[in-house]
Amino acid sequence: MTVLLHEDYIVERGDFKNAGKVSSTIKEKLKMIGIDAKILRRISIACYEAEINMLIHAWGGDISMDVSDDGTVRFVFKDPGPGIPDLDDAMTPGYSTASDDAREMGFGAGMGLPNIKKVSDSFDIASSPEGTTITLGFHL
Amino acid sequence: MMESVVAYTLERCVKCMKCIQACPVSAVSMENNRIIVAHERCTNCGRCIDACHSQGLVAQGSTLVDIANYDYTVCLVPPALTSACRSKEEAEDLFNGIKLLGFDEVVDLSPYYGTVLRESLAYQTENRPAIVSMCSVVNRLIKTEYQVLIDHLIPMNYPAEIAARDLRMKLTDKGTVGIFNMCECASRLVHAKYPYGTLDSEIDHALSIADTFPLIRKNLGKGRQKLNLCRDGFAAMDTVMLGEHPRVLAADGYDKVQNILELAEFGRLKEFDVLYLLPCFNGCSGGQLLFGNGYLSHQNIPSLTEKETGCCQDVSQECIWRNSFMAEEDRRSFTEKMEFFRKVNEVLEKLPGYDCSACGMRTCRIMAEEIVSGNRSLSDCHILNSASREDVQ
Repeated sequence: MTVLLHEDYIVERGDFKNAGKVSSTIKEKLKMIGIDAKILRRISIACYEAEINMLIHAWGGDISMDVSDDGTVRFVFKDPGPGIPDLDDAMTPGYSTASDDAREMGFGAGMGLPNIKKVSDSFDIASSPEGTTITLGFHL
Repeated sequence: MMESVVAYTLERCVKCMKCIQACPVSAVSMENNRIIVAHERCTNCGRCIDACHSQGLVAQGSTLVDIANYDYTVCLVPPALTSACRSKEEAEDLFNGIKLLGFDEVVDLSPYYGTVLRESLAYQTENRPAIVSMCSVVNRLIKTEYQVLIDHLIPMNYPAEIAARDLRMKLTDKGTVGIFNMCECASRLVHAKYPYGTLDSEIDHALSIADTFPLIRKNLGKGRQKLNLCRDGFAAMDTVMLGEHPRVLAADGYDKVQNILELAEFGRLKEFDVLYLLPCFNGCSGGQLLFGNGYLSHQNIPSLTEKETGCCQDVSQECIWRNSFMAEEDRRSFTEKMEFFRKVNEVLEKLPGYDCSACGMRTCRIMAEEIVSGNRSLSDCHILNSASREDVQ
């Protein structure tokens, strides 16, 4: 398996003004390639949710995308903390720890992680106080 | 495939490239000193026409000569045109003036726009938010650039088309009936048998308001045609009035429409039932073939509809609904897609990246795609050429 396209993006801490910018860039890239709309819909939703999570719950983070020749795309969302105290809680639909500020901006309905898992073909999450890493896979 | 309405006159073109840069979907390019519009990309938004200062690009409708070809003729008048009138009296005068051009009947479209509003609010779908397909520019944009949202489009005919179908059924005893549509923007011109050949349309001729209005003006002040306008019909093409509905999100202006489509693609905006997207500023009242100012027209609507009792037109279901929208499929394999993408990026590295359009393409990326497709070569880039000339010196 060879990686045909590798991209790295940074989500700046507290940069709400640019919320969703990275997801937009990813979406644009995949549109340029000509990815099927049904898969693109799922990728867009997952990336957007994960990017917003980094903004409201973590101190920013890094996003990477790898498109491989076997027709898969892999995303890694890596943030520097503070980590998710209880992963089972976080994976429960409707459970939210978002701040009032974030909720006022329309984020934090408690559907982020469950949604991401639902729309992706593979989902992996690891969290400690040093940070959270989410790895997503999609078949193109 | 839908035609592009943009007509080009080489003699008038001053090669300023403004149209190329104005096109939001990179459909306009220049080859051998001629402007070329790619029909498969063009959404008929008319921004290139607006950008053209030399009348090199225009959108043309049918002419009134065709009235003579029918036993009975009907002219459809959209609320966008009516809203340019400051009072109801003025509107009634305008309708009479249009009739005097030689029509047997002039029909106000506001009740049909009202029907579209009513039906869209009642539309049930799993794909929330539903997107109203009233404007063909939005439909084309979704088909070409936002395919993720294609099943969000409500499969409804355009208001003028609904009216034409309805009238066609009602006027069967009138001999050959010719239906003419007064168009407020370039995109509407396409939806008629003439001049652009949309054969499945029940509208026979599309007329440009900009071209027809000088003739109508001569007939003003000669009488009145009684009107009963439908307020909902005006609301259906005005973002401010649409905003009164709590579960409707309305946006006007091409950029804002694109913003909203972006968000919808991320699965946001599910709290809204319906999106009304009007790419012209001020909605349809801002159509580029109108003579008025969209802001002024918007202000006219309350006084025009204040005392009106007109309500939505009841039309049969078959007039309203159309087949679902379908995306054009990309038949290339994944490997082919990736290979093309890689080559384009490789070429893009060599191009200067100024997006200056001097080569005739809107952006360096579009140029790179053309080079990889074999339609252009690197030597067509003016910046690279001048740089290599300096090297030689």
